[in-house]
Amino acid sequence: MNFATFIQQLLNGLSIGSVYAIFALGYTLVFSILGIINFSHAAVFTLGAYFTFTLMGGTFGFNGVLANASVPVQLPFAVALIFGSVLAGLMAVLIERLAFRPLRVRGADPLLTLVSSLGVAILITNLIQYLVGAEIYTFPASTYGDLPPAIDFGKLLGLGQIVPVRTVQIVIFVVSVVILIILTLIINRTRFGKALRAVAEDTTTASLLGINTDLFILLTFFLSGFLGGVAGTLVGSSVSIAGPYFGISFGLKGLAVIVLGGLGDIPGAVVGGLVIGLAEAFVPPEYSGYKDAVAFGILFVVLLIRPRGLLGRTIIQKV
Amino acid sequence: MSDFFSTYGFLLVSMMLAAMLALSLYLPLMSGQLSLASPGFYALGGYIAAVLSTKVFTATGDLYPVPLLLLEMLIAGVASGALAIVVGVPALRLRGIYLALATIAFVEVLQVLALNLDVTGGAVGIFGVPQPFRTQIEYAWIAAPMLILAMFFVYRLERIRVGRAFIAIKEDELAADAMGVNPTVNKVLSFTMGAVLAGMVGAIGAHFLNTWNARQGTFDASIAYLAFVLIGGSRTFLGPVLGGMALTALPEILRALSGNGSLPLWLTEFMKDGRFILYGLLLVLGCVFLPQGFVTPAFFSRWSKKAHAAKLKRAA
Repeated sequence: MNFATFIQQLLNGLSIGSVYAIFALGYTLVFSILGIINFSHAAVFTLGAYFTFTLMGGTFGFNGVLANASVPVQLPFAVALIFGSVLAGLMAVLIERLAFRPLRVRGADPLLTLVSSLGVAILITNLIQYLVGAEIYTFPASTYGDLPPAIDFGKLLGLGQIVPVRTVQIVIFVVSVVILIILTLIINRTRFGKALRAVAEDTTTASLLGINTDLFILLTFFLSGFLGGVAGTLVGSSVSIAGPYFGISFGLKGLAVIVLGGLGDIPGAVVGGLVIGLAEAFVPPEYSGYKDAVAFGILFVVLLIRPRGLLGRTIIQKV
Repeated sequence: MSDFFSTYGFLLVSMMLAAMLALSLYLPLMSGQLSLASPGFYALGGYIAAVLSTKVFTATGDLYPVPLLLLEMLIAGVASGALAIVVGVPALRLRGIYLALATIAFVEVLQVLALNLDVTGGAVGIFGVPQPFRTQIEYAWIAAPMLILAMFFVYRLERIRVGRAFIAIKEDELAADAMGVNPTVNKVLSFTMGAVLAGMVGAIGAHFLNTWNARQGTFDASIAYLAFVLIGGSRTFLGPVLGGMALTALPEILRALSGNGSLPLWLTEFMKDGRFILYGLLLVLGCVFLPQGFVTPAFFSRWSKKAHAAKLKRAA
């Protein structure tokens, strides 16, 4: 591997890894508060991509009920990204009300909630297929405005050779990092974040201290859905929206990320995302068929060697 | 009647296979272990049967000999069991959601291997698996006795020492350990039993479907089996069996309902194109309104006076 390829793969890894990170944070936020893996997160990811696509004025194909429909607005990418992700966040809130809350109120088995969230994922995925068909949707070529399609990193770093990097990768990386920084600030520096951490630490005690835990659970779902929507849009705009199922495999990789980082651990999800993104980017091209196994291989090994994750803390099993 | 069998033969055998796959997930669940590994062993068993029948056993003649099919099932069961012990010993140290995630990873890794190895035919898979029967309903000669055997096996298991040890671990692992029940041995045993069953069903499945590829053991399948068990009821073995049968038949029932013209057109169209939407909705509603599943132990106690008296005593 020469140096140019190394730089390219490094940036590829960082860019996909940072999307893994913001996506996995959506899982982790919900897990830290409810102790439940929300499988519908993958479906919200898919929804976010479709929402943004629609808000940018995209037209649907001829399959499905909404054939050739489009909304009468054409927002620029940045605005559509924000609105699309907010819509995804509101969907997550709706899911919480309909599929999580009834079970939580009754104190049901967490595994049952897991199945309920899977039911939601199947429901949403097939609803998308019913409404807009299963075809691939590509974001318009001018998605990123006047930015050139690739940037020569060789010239920027003064390497004396051409190292082209797709602009998409850089946009993804920058957007993800900005979101990660804002989220870290919210969680660690604000009153809201403090309350959120308190609810995650101990829901009962937090409610005794006057925190409206029910509201914070809803806000957590909103944040989680928002992050899922951003991740879905970024992946969709970088490759394409590969049909209603495109969130499912991404969702499974997100599981690998949060286990690697430690379930419910926020910095861990970021580290886990970057590790898995980089590990996938550096799979040699002759073994590219095995690329999808990397995340799951890592997941399996981490579970066996260090089940609490890279940065996770030990939980003592009490009788 | 023969008309009925030729139309619904595929569905009936599919329902039996689904019931057995649901049982294969129920077995580890008996000892409280949520394992989603069944589709992996099902896929493995299918590949073993497909490779053996197309490349190793070159039977001449019109129909593939049934004893060879039984031999394949035996080999598939033994191989799945062996792999289950190798994977299970380290993996079953994990509890709850961690074990579920480890088994998801196991299934995904097997799938990637199946897509990339030469022996499994890559993404195309293996075609033209020889047929031991002329019609699909005749597969019931294998599937029905096997289902009855599997049900009897689990029924007895729930009432003997080993099964009671499983249930003790499910209720409280530490307490069971203190009472002299070895958790590791019993958890691996229940996991392995499920794997053997799934592997044997896979061997039938490869012949039944005539072709085998990497789409057979996927995450979607894990979820479907889990739905069979949890919607059917995870407290007794009848729950998974009935759940597997009912949920496999459901899309067909919806399709039949949409075809007979007694419903308005928009509803007919929706049921044809959107039946998986209903399937997802049913999963959510089932979890919210029927958390114990349809078939619960209380379901049977209605016929048992003793249990009824005990219930009255508790209520008093």
